[in-house]
Amino acid sequence: MKQTEKPGGAGQRFWDFFASVKLSFVLLLSLALASVLGTLLPQKEHVSVYVQQFGESGARLILGLRLDDMYHAPWFLLLLALLAFNLVVCSLNRLPQTLKLMAKEPAAELKRSRSAQESLTLAGSPTDHLARAEAALKQAVGPVTAGQDGQTRLLFAEKGAWSRLGVYLVHLSVLVIMAGAVVGGIWGYAGFININQGSTIDHLDLDDGRQLPLGFVLRLDKFTAEFHPDGMPKEYRSEVTFLENGQEVEKAVLMVNHPAQRHGIDFYQASYGQSVTKLRANFIKDGQTQTVALAHGQWTDLEGGGKALLIEARPEVNMGGMYKGPVARVGYQPPQGEAMALTAFQAGAKIPMRGGPVSVEILELESTPYSGLQVKYDPGVWLIWLGCGLMVVGFVVAFYFAHRKVWLRLSPAGQGRCKIEIAGSTNKNRLGLTRLLERLSARLKAGAAQGE
Amino acid sequence: MEALSNNLLVVVTFAYLLASVSYLGGWIITKAKALGLLATILTWAAFATHTAAIILRWLASYQIGADHAPFSNLFESLVFFGWTLALIYLIIELRTKLKPIGAFAMPLAFFAMLYALKLDPAIKPLLPALKSNWLIAHVITCFLGYAGFGVSASLSLMYLVTGKGRSPEERRFLVLDELIYQTVVVGFILLTAGIVTGSIWANSAWGTYWSWDPKETWSLITWLVYAALLHSRYMRGWQGARVAVFSLVGFVCVLFTYFGVNLLLSGLHSYAR
Repeated sequence: MKQTEKPGGAGQRFWDFFASVKLSFVLLLSLALASVLGTLLPQKEHVSVYVQQFGESGARLILGLRLDDMYHAPWFLLLLALLAFNLVVCSLNRLPQTLKLMAKEPAAELKRSRSAQESLTLAGSPTDHLARAEAALKQAVGPVTAGQDGQTRLLFAEKGAWSRLGVYLVHLSVLVIMAGAVVGGIWGYAGFININQGSTIDHLDLDDGRQLPLGFVLRLDKFTAEFHPDGMPKEYRSEVTFLENGQEVEKAVLMVNHPAQRHGIDFYQASYGQSVTKLRANFIKDGQTQTVALAHGQWTDLEGGGKALLIEARPEVNMGGMYKGPVARVGYQPPQGEAMALTAFQAGAKIPMRGGPVSVEILELESTPYSGLQVKYDPGVWLIWLGCGLMVVGFVVAFYFAHRKVWLRLSPAGQGRCKIEIAGSTNKNRLGLTRLLERLSARLKAGAAQGE
Repeated sequence: MEALSNNLLVVVTFAYLLASVSYLGGWIITKAKALGLLATILTWAAFATHTAAIILRWLASYQIGADHAPFSNLFESLVFFGWTLALIYLIIELRTKLKPIGAFAMPLAFFAMLYALKLDPAIKPLLPALKSNWLIAHVITCFLGYAGFGVSASLSLMYLVTGKGRSPEERRFLVLDELIYQTVVVGFILLTAGIVTGSIWANSAWGTYWSWDPKETWSLITWLVYAALLHSRYMRGWQGARVAVFSLVGFVCVLFTYFGVNLLLSGLHSYAR
C-alpha cells in the first residue's frame, strides 16, 4: 500500500477506507438491494397511489425517502457517487505499484531465485542445451533475457505485462459511463410532440412541463399504421419534413427502431391516434339554425354576428344509458358579452339537460391521424458508448490476458548431465500457467531426445 | 418445417433428460464408464438435433412470412436458453473431462426445454418494437451470459453437495473453484455485452439508453451481484464454499430477471411473457 501520510493519521484512515475492496463490495451490494426496492415499489406515481396502497404513514415514509423516484433520490445518487470515489481512490492507490511491476527490468528478474515447478535432468552440459531452451522459451512466452551465474545459465521471459492495466480500463469505463449520464442529465432534455398529419410544429413540450423552441419546423406529411390480419401491429410510420426559414431542408421517415435526427435532436416514433380537426354542426340561437364548419382552435365568424371554434372533441363517449356517441366542446363568442363554452352532442340525440338560448348539435366530426413523437437531446450519449466499448475491451484484457513470467535455470548436475528447472509466476489463471510449464518441459525433453 | 422443428424439440428435451440421468448414474456408480460415454454421446447428438431444430424454425419463419430469427418470445428464448446451456456445458466437458458436472448442468437444460414444451410454439410475426438488427445480438449475448451463470450455479451446487467435510485444498475442489470463477467471468462479460446491446437498441427504439424499466433494473442488479462476487476474490476468506453460495444467489437473480420480471412486474419487455 502507498503511504501518502503518516500511518494512523485521519487523512490516511480516510484514504484507506476509500481504497478498500470491502467498501466496493458493500457498495455494489447496497446498490443492488436498493434497486430491488425500486422495482418493487411503483415509481413516479401520484401521491394518492401511495396513500391508497401503503396508507397515510407509509406514503409519508416513501415520499420522505424519495422512494417514489428512487433512482434519482439524493441518497441513491450518493451511493453511486461513493462508488465512483471508491473506484478512483482504489485505482490511484494501486496504479503506482502496478506500473512498477510492469516496468521491472528483466535483468533484475533474472537473478530472482524461484522454487521450480518442473524439473528435468538431461545428458549434456548447460551450454549444449542453451540454444534449444532459449528457442523453446521464446516460442512459449516471448523475448528471452539470458544471464550466467558461474556454470549455471539463467533464462527469463515474460509476456502480457500490459494486461495488468485491464482492470484500470474497466474502472475508467465505469467513470466514463457515469460522466455520460451526468452530461446528459445536465445539458440534455427529453420531451414529446403530438402532431397532426399535415400540420407543422416549432416547439416541444418537455417532460417537466416547460416548452422549448426547436429552432426549426417539423411537418408531418403522412402517418400510417399497418396491422397484420390477426390485428397485431405491423408498422407505425411517420413521414416528416424539416423546414428552416420556410424552406424544406430534409425529409425523413420515422418508424419504431428508426429515429430521425436534426441538429442533434432525435425524434422517435412513440404513439399515434386520431385527433378531431373539424366539426360540422347545427348552431342554434334563439330558435334559428345555421349549419357551420368549425376548425380546431380557429375562430369562425357566424352569420348574424359572433364567432365560434372547436375546443376539443371525442368521437365516442359512453355515458351509461344516457348517451353514447360523439361529444364536442365548442367556444362561442357572442357579438356582445363574454365568451362561453358549450357542450355539443349528436344531432337528434335525446339529452335531457339541453336548454339555454344557444346550443350546438354535432352533424359530423372530421378527424386526422396524429403521430406522437418522443424527442430527445442528449449530448452525453457518445460518452456512454465510449464507456461501454472501453468496458468490454477492459474485461477481455483483465480476464483473458495474464502477466506471465517464466524462469529457466540450466545447471550442471555432474557426470556430464544438465539439470533444467522451470519456474513461473502469473497474476491470474494459475492452472493455465501450470499447463504452459508442463508443455515447455515436454518440449525440452522431446527436443533433447531429437538432438541426440 | 415448423412441425418437424417442434417434434425435434420434444425429442431433444427427453434426450437431455436421459443424458442427465446417465451423467448422474455414471457419477454415482463409479465403475460404470459406459454410462458416462453414453451420456456424452447423447448430449452431443441432442445438441446437434437442437441446433437443427432452431435452424429449421428460423427457415420456417421466413417460409410463412413472419421473417424473423427465432428469438422473439418466451418459447423461443427458452429453447435458445436450453441450447446455450448445453453448448457451455459441452465446452467445459471438452476442456476438463469432468463428467460429473453433467449431472448438475444438464438437468438445467432439460428443465428449460420442459418449460418451453408447455408453451404455445406458434411462429408469430414480430411487433414493431422488436424489428431491429439488435434483436439477434442482444438475445444471443444475454442468453449465453445466462447460460454461463447457469453452468456456474450447477458447478456451485456440485461443490457444495460433494464438498461437505472434505478439504477445499483437494485438487478437484481447486479445479471446481476455478471453474466457478471462470464461468462467472464468461457470464459477466456476456451479460455486460447483453446490457450494452440492449441499451443501444433502447436508444434507437425508445429514445433512451436507460429508463430504469424493471427488466433493465434487474439485469443491473444481477450485474452488481456478480461484480461483487468478482471483487470478493480480493477479500480474505472468500473462496470455495462462500463463493459457491454467492454464485447460486447470483443465479437466482438471473432467474428473476428472466422469468420473475415478466411474470410479476410490468414494463417494456412485456412481449416476452
